[in-house]
Amino acid sequence: MATKKSYNYDQYQVRKTKRWVNVVVTIVLVIWAVINLYPLYWMLAFSLKDNDQILVTNRFGLPKGLPSEWIWSNYKEAMNTGPIGKFFLNSIIITGATIILTTLAAMMASYAITRIRWRGSEAMNRIFMLGITIPIQASIIPVYLVVSKLQLINTPIALIIPYSAFALAMALLICTGFMTQIPKELDEAAYIDGCGRSKVFFTVILPLMKPAVATTAIYTFLQCWNELMFAQTFMTGLKSMTLPAGMAQLFGSHTTQWGPIGAALVIATFPTILFYVLFSRRIQDSFIAGAVKG
Amino acid sequence: MKKFLAMLLAIVAVLGLSACGKDDGLTMWCIATKSDSNRHSYEAAIADMEKKYPDTKLNWEAIENETYKQKIKAAVSGNNMPDIFFTWSCAFLGDFVKEDKVYCLDEAYKGFADKLPEKMCKNTTYNGKKYGVPLTMNIVGLFANLDILKEVGYDDVPATYEELIECCNKLVAAGKIPFGCAGKETWCVTEYLESIIEKSIGAKALDDIFMNGATWDNQDVAKAVDIFQEMIKNGYFDPDGISLGNDDVKANFMAGKYAFYMNGTWNCGEFAGKEGFNVKVAEFPVIDSSKAKLGQLIGGPSDTLAVAKSAKDAENTAKYTLELGQLICKYGYLDGCGLPAWTVDYNADSVNALTKSVAEIVAKSDYMVLFGDTAMPADEAGKYLEQVAKVYGGEVDGAGFIAALKAAIR
Amino acid sequence: MFGRGHFSLGRQSIMKRKKLDGITIFLFLLPALVLFIGILAAPLISSVVNSFYQYKGFGSKTWLGWDNYKRLFDKNQIPFWDSVVHAFILAGFSVFLQLPLALGLALLLGRGIKGERFLLSVNFLPVLISTVVIGQLWLKVFHPEGLVNSLLRVVGYLKEGDKNIQWLGDGQGKLLWACFIPMLWQYVGYHMLLMYAGVKSVPPELREAAKIDGATDWQVDRFVVIPSMKQILKVSVIFAVTGSLKSYDLIRIMATLQTKEASVPSTILMDYMTLRGEYGVASAVAVLLILLCFFFAILISAAFKERD
Repeated sequence: MATKKSYNYDQYQVRKTKRWVNVVVTIVLVIWAVINLYPLYWMLAFSLKDNDQILVTNRFGLPKGLPSEWIWSNYKEAMNTGPIGKFFLNSIIITGATIILTTLAAMMASYAITRIRWRGSEAMNRIFMLGITIPIQASIIPVYLVVSKLQLINTPIALIIPYSAFALAMALLICTGFMTQIPKELDEAAYIDGCGRSKVFFTVILPLMKPAVATTAIYTFLQCWNELMFAQTFMTGLKSMTLPAGMAQLFGSHTTQWGPIGAALVIATFPTILFYVLFSRRIQDSFIAGAVKG
Repeated sequence: MKKFLAMLLAIVAVLGLSACGKDDGLTMWCIATKSDSNRHSYEAAIADMEKKYPDTKLNWEAIENETYKQKIKAAVSGNNMPDIFFTWSCAFLGDFVKEDKVYCLDEAYKGFADKLPEKMCKNTTYNGKKYGVPLTMNIVGLFANLDILKEVGYDDVPATYEELIECCNKLVAAGKIPFGCAGKETWCVTEYLESIIEKSIGAKALDDIFMNGATWDNQDVAKAVDIFQEMIKNGYFDPDGISLGNDDVKANFMAGKYAFYMNGTWNCGEFAGKEGFNVKVAEFPVIDSSKAKLGQLIGGPSDTLAVAKSAKDAENTAKYTLELGQLICKYGYLDGCGLPAWTVDYNADSVNALTKSVAEIVAKSDYMVLFGDTAMPADEAGKYLEQVAKVYGGEVDGAGFIAALKAAIR
Repeated sequence: MFGRGHFSLGRQSIMKRKKLDGITIFLFLLPALVLFIGILAAPLISSVVNSFYQYKGFGSKTWLGWDNYKRLFDKNQIPFWDSVVHAFILAGFSVFLQLPLALGLALLLGRGIKGERFLLSVNFLPVLISTVVIGQLWLKVFHPEGLVNSLLRVVGYLKEGDKNIQWLGDGQGKLLWACFIPMLWQYVGYHMLLMYAGVKSVPPELREAAKIDGATDWQVDRFVVIPSMKQILKVSVIFAVTGSLKSYDLIRIMATLQTKEASVPSTILMDYMTLRGEYGVASAVAVLLILLCFFFAILISAAFKERD
């Protein structure tokens, strides 16, 4: 944003903000960033250690030992849990489809609720809000019964639909929030031009909803990428496991070897982080792209 | 938008492809996950079975313990049970038997009666009918780090309660911690408490309370609880234990931080496998010799396989399961994961020394009381564990413990 | 009504339009309705029904009436009320500490400081890392020989020979804080990102205009940026409050289900459902949790509407 105009801007900023305030703010931000980066480092560190080091001698993953003492076999063990590529693919398909389904359903519903006036729209919105309130732990058996009646157990749909349903309410909340901020005049102009409802939705509203799409997608992703309970209950067999379900096989019933779990978590987390790092600029840009203000 | 729809369609297509294809053969669910100590015995047993019955394909899956309990219940209520499933004995399997979801094994057992002693089926027999195939069994053992004991002048595990206390005092005086116990996992506390109660009131009395409807209102239980708490008060237990999980405590014991560790004998394989770890396993000594004696243990067969009533060709599946269970038991014993519930008719010399000494203890035993939380129905076990946790945290004393359990259970 | 541009249309075409609108509304709501009725209705209904029964999760049920609820409110039986109080405390800290922190960070980064994007990404990282890792790490921090106690020894609060402070189980509520701190910390980045989207949607011209008028950075934030973020703040507050009331994962890792010290409604729910096999009690907890969350969601929505 370093345009010519910002010259003025900087001048004012320099005059108004004291130097020491900036220094303090910078220090605080750096410390905060370090705190937030540390778990990542720690996860890497403990993926290369054994139980004795993780639990007793070196709990914080300090760089004590030589690289030759790193236990790379943890990774081998984590990879041995099964077809890890297939786990990945399952997770990507399920999460991807959930994001698309949730976003689409939430966008459409929030259009009907916020842009068309009808009696009961408010009540409808509230009913949908019930979705935020349901504790997912209490839903396993009832949802299992629905899914198994539909003969969907062990298919990706068995997870996509419940995940979407549980993410829906929050997605709807985000979407309606963004949508009410779009000035009504925009649709009205389009109606005058003779556009129908659906055309307005697709050509006028949707393009302005990029930040909502990004926010909803991130939320939905976080909800289902690491989800374990449904994934383990509704899916059976190595072929249909998601990544977290596959990795959960590393937890033993009396003792757990934490090293391989660390390795598994690194394997499961790093693609996410890589993806985020690669696309964060895009995601962040999409926030700014939505800036249309009346 | 078109791109969006195209993507959606593509995904639906992928789903369609990956959805189909149900395999034939038997299905089995268990909890022998990749890192479980029993994993190898399942793999070896299944490999043997596949060699013997090449036409029967077994599709098996291991699920982590806690989730498994959910998953099997969901499957029962949705009538989607696997043909063979892992279960714990007594109450857990009993619930399914009550709902008529489990196939009775009486007929199939006839062919195996000479290899599987009747008394090993005690915990999975309901109304005189057998429903479970026991695998390995475990007891609670007093593991002792002999190197640490040597530092205070002991060459062996103290044999009597008085000696044990004296040993603990010496350890404390020498700045050593006698016991480690994970307060964050209540079952670890029961390993100590149940042994102390049993060696104070006798096995029969404890068994009656756990399984046969005797009241908790028993002054001797209160006394035993007080003994346990006094041991804590005297500094015999690691004060940090209250904040630790079993993995931490076990790692501490293996790192030489504690002299003793009371836990299940499933640990034998791991301890024996640790280079230079001079460890021995013993029975907890008798506290009140007028009521209890040596040879009264906590433990017994709990890990079990059962056959669903809905299983394909149930009678043959039952025979298959019995045979499979026998093999899992054999390999489990050879691996040091536990003791055999089935008769040993193979060479077991390769079993590690620790497991062997546990086998000796069991051979000499005359009464085994099953772990309280397995023996009791789930709701009672919950109330029991709640009070046990309070005992370890010092929130209730012996009198409070029995009063609370009398009110909550009997 | 469909905008002022339409009143030149005749009555008949309005009727037609209304009918068409009915179909449009239905079609637009359809996917969400299918998801809602297909999946969410089941746990809603079954929780309500099962809460009146003694039920193991499978097999037969026994009618109990209000007994499960009575047990929940009997302090001697189930510490449900304590767990709700804990959840409220968490929600309070979430709204009055976590969200302001997130807002502050978002505003700061939104001003366009050096390393804006880098900091944005870094602060979001904890959300991406599995709760298992976060939980295990904080267990080490509060471990009897962990970071906190070591620091206390360094600064001399704990003297030589003093016992370790048991942050994870002294029975006096320290565990609650040991669980809450990581929970609050982990999601700061999430709220920050959400709010950052709001901050960035303020047109730069508007910001500049305010500055030229002599407003300080703080004044710009206070009078220009924050008022335009109302919808996002509402989402954040609802997310924070319902999330706190339903919190589970991290507590499950850092404490056990039976620990009363750090109980929240969901740990009680899971304790009764999975460990004790008392589905009826678990369902009653679920029903109360749903009512509580719903009440707060509506209350918060209304509060934000009031300020219009």
